Amino acid sequence: MREFSQLFHDLDESTKTNDRIDQLVKYLMEAAPEDSIWVCWFLAGNRIKGAIKTSELRTFASERSGLPQWLLEECHDRVGDLAETISLLVATEGSGEILSLSEWIIKFIEPMIGMDTEERRENIFRVWDFLGEQDFLPFHKLLTGGFRMGVSKGNLCKALARVGGVQPAIIAQRLTGNWSPKTLSLEGILNSGDDEDRLCQPFPFCLANPLQEEAENLGRLEDWQVEWKWDGIRAQLINRGGTCMIWSRGDESVGHSFPEVMNAGKWLPGDLCMDGEILAWGQDGLRSFSRLQARLGRKEPGPTILKREPVRFQAYDLLRLDGMDMRKVSLEERRKKLEAILSSLPPDFPIGLSPLVEEESWASLRKLREESRNRGVEGFMLKKKDSSFESGRVKGCWYKWKVDPYLADMVVVSAQLGHGKRSNLYSDYSLAVWDEQGELVTVAKAYSGLSDNEIEKVDRFVRKNITGKFGPVRSVKPNLVFEIAFEGVRSSGRHKSGVALRFPRINRWRTDKKIEDADTLEIIRGFTGINEETKMADGTKVDQEGNLLLF
Amino acid sequence: MEDNILTFRREGLYCEAGDFYVDPRGRVDRAIITHAHSDHARAGHKNYLCSDPCKALLQVRIGQKSPIESIPFGQEQMIGKARVSFHPAGHILGSAQVKIEVGGYVWVVSGDYKPQSDKTCETFELVSCHGFISECTFGLPVYKWQPEVEIHHQINHWWEKNKADGQGSLLFAYSLGKAQRVLAGLDSSIGPIYAHSAVHSFLDHYKNAGVVLPDVKKVDKEKDFTGAMVIAPPAVEDSSWTRKFRQVKRGFASGWMAIRGPRRRKNLDRGFVLSDHADWTGLIDVITGTGAEKVKVTHGNGDALSRFLQEKGVNTSVLNESSFRGEELD
Repeated sequence: MREFSQLFHDLDESTKTNDRIDQLVKYLMEAAPEDSIWVCWFLAGNRIKGAIKTSELRTFASERSGLPQWLLEECHDRVGDLAETISLLVATEGSGEILSLSEWIIKFIEPMIGMDTEERRENIFRVWDFLGEQDFLPFHKLLTGGFRMGVSKGNLCKALARVGGVQPAIIAQRLTGNWSPKTLSLEGILNSGDDEDRLCQPFPFCLANPLQEEAENLGRLEDWQVEWKWDGIRAQLINRGGTCMIWSRGDESVGHSFPEVMNAGKWLPGDLCMDGEILAWGQDGLRSFSRLQARLGRKEPGPTILKREPVRFQAYDLLRLDGMDMRKVSLEERRKKLEAILSSLPPDFPIGLSPLVEEESWASLRKLREESRNRGVEGFMLKKKDSSFESGRVKGCWYKWKVDPYLADMVVVSAQLGHGKRSNLYSDYSLAVWDEQGELVTVAKAYSGLSDNEIEKVDRFVRKNITGKFGPVRSVKPNLVFEIAFEGVRSSGRHKSGVALRFPRINRWRTDKKIEDADTLEIIRGFTGINEETKMADGTKVDQEGNLLLF
Repeated sequence: MEDNILTFRREGLYCEAGDFYVDPRGRVDRAIITHAHSDHARAGHKNYLCSDPCKALLQVRIGQKSPIESIPFGQEQMIGKARVSFHPAGHILGSAQVKIEVGGYVWVVSGDYKPQSDKTCETFELVSCHGFISECTFGLPVYKWQPEVEIHHQINHWWEKNKADGQGSLLFAYSLGKAQRVLAGLDSSIGPIYAHSAVHSFLDHYKNAGVVLPDVKKVDKEKDFTGAMVIAPPAVEDSSWTRKFRQVKRGFASGWMAIRGPRRRKNLDRGFVLSDHADWTGLIDVITGTGAEKVKVTHGNGDALSRFLQEKGVNTSVLNESSFRGEELD
């Protein structure tokens, strides 16, 4: 645990990414492999689930410190991080039981999953007796599941690549998907061989940069493949000898939510991996993202929802065919092979080919882009025809040429302290517009888009103009007007205003506007996307046994 | 009756029996000053009264020719119907609590205070009183200070490590009080010590008061700061003055560094938790130790401390100031 705590504090004190990678490399070289693998697992974004409820942890910490629970909440408000708050309140120099990181996890964290509250209390109190003072924060970070420490998954891969002398892309693929320190060893990550399991894993996704210059600067249009930018869930579809898997960009296996796509995937050639987008798609064609939401996170969708909210996997790239890694093959070649596989499928098939957009010139393309909203897409994807499929965001190969966001002026009506770097600044805001009765109604929350300097200014304003306290939320005298950018509006029963915005963020601070100049709810409602009614019974055709009726 | 001894006016805390203010803003006839920090000692008043050791520092702050009278700690002086005396607050050199007695009822205005040990100023004195107005800058239990020797040890260790890595050490510390407290704990055998001119202007006064400080050079002409320690006020953090140091690690000594958020936001290499204010335990111990039957808390987010004390049966309320900022100088 000492080595891990030291790593934690070293990473915490580093302000430069390269220093962090150096520190991680040093740790991975020196620490025991059974500890290192846990560090990799946490840094890859995983967490131990269900070991303790935060409400239990709060209660125990309150008992231990002898402080009332409301005071603990006040502290949490100030600190902005529960693990840190608890560490500050209960830390003592314990008897320092000498255990390794993996022993701490196996002896004290994992067993809690099956315990009741009383057993958990006993367990946590024992932990608090044993922990060294330096170990409190790292331990509670693991327990509450927030160990990132400024090391992205990409940088973790870089560090591992340096330790093992393996390509970062190979490491990245091995860290993708569901794995745990029980199923994968550090050696497994670092070895140079390949194996069957790997073929069921997704590849690291190639990501696009936003187009920040004139499209003409990209050179000849003939060198670029243009596709519609879909508004769905990016995913890789793998068929491995009749076993299908769907992986989301968060490396989660999401196939269970989309059984019709899984079933359909079996019809495709074996040992194949395609990159594409899961979309809400009925017999009326593409539907909005909000329709897709009805299917997300639903583990085993029933027949009613399958019928009412059908989906489709729209494929746009081919990453593996017949067991061959195609990523280094040019996009033009990959596209030809992808078309050969998908072009003969019936229109009702829940897997389709994302069509190419073919225009004469950048100018005509620009004109067509204006239709994006009506078509229910977000603009274009521009992909260099001679590019390979890279891992992550690589400059110059893929661009997203998005349609401009909707803009509206809104009033800040309440604020909340931020997290992490902004943990004692009022940096999260609720924004309101005028309703028909002339009252301000909240329509969005936004916490990004202002400069550090502006956040400090807003923070100062908020502190001087608090009008009420609701838990961590402070209502604020309406005065500040922000221009908010967002991607769409849908009706929502959950919000008093009856609408919910997609991806709201602060575009700029309108210091030139008064609150009377803010927009109205009517204007916001007017921004709704494709008009659609819920159509029943237009899902994919199946027979009574649930088999796809395709031909 | 005793409630009217001190009232809160636009200019600040006012005592009608003596017609004076404590640490006022604006322009008043008589100002009693607890200590020489800029948020307590402002220029422009007609008459000032402070403790003897505070006077020289106050002159640096508001001008050598300012109309400042001073009296020794513990000596009583009648102002109108009020009996006034100063008692060490342990915050910075010369910092005082003000004891005000009117008709047998005693109020103590704490100013900023710190019961923890500090080699660079007078030791805090616990004064019994009926009413106590306490600061509460760090009024949450997440603020717990380690002994200052421990922090000094951390700073020296950091400095040594930076030196070994071929780096200089640039440590931000408030120019009056904190900077001298940091200096007093530096191990000058590690390397040369420099200070920004704002820190320099107070050094002689500390030495005159008998505080032992290491030799400190001015930053002006030196070019190479490898292995050196440079002390500078936080105000210059983002200035061109700071940018001239290339190979340096940046640290900050303040009670606010107890929490990672503020530390990380400043993009510092290191935060040292060294405060000139009372921590949570210090506040509770002092407030209950005064035996006061009435407690008012100010300077900071007093809600939590006030509620906590109320639940313990101490008659506490928050003294509202017209414009307070959650984070104060430290």
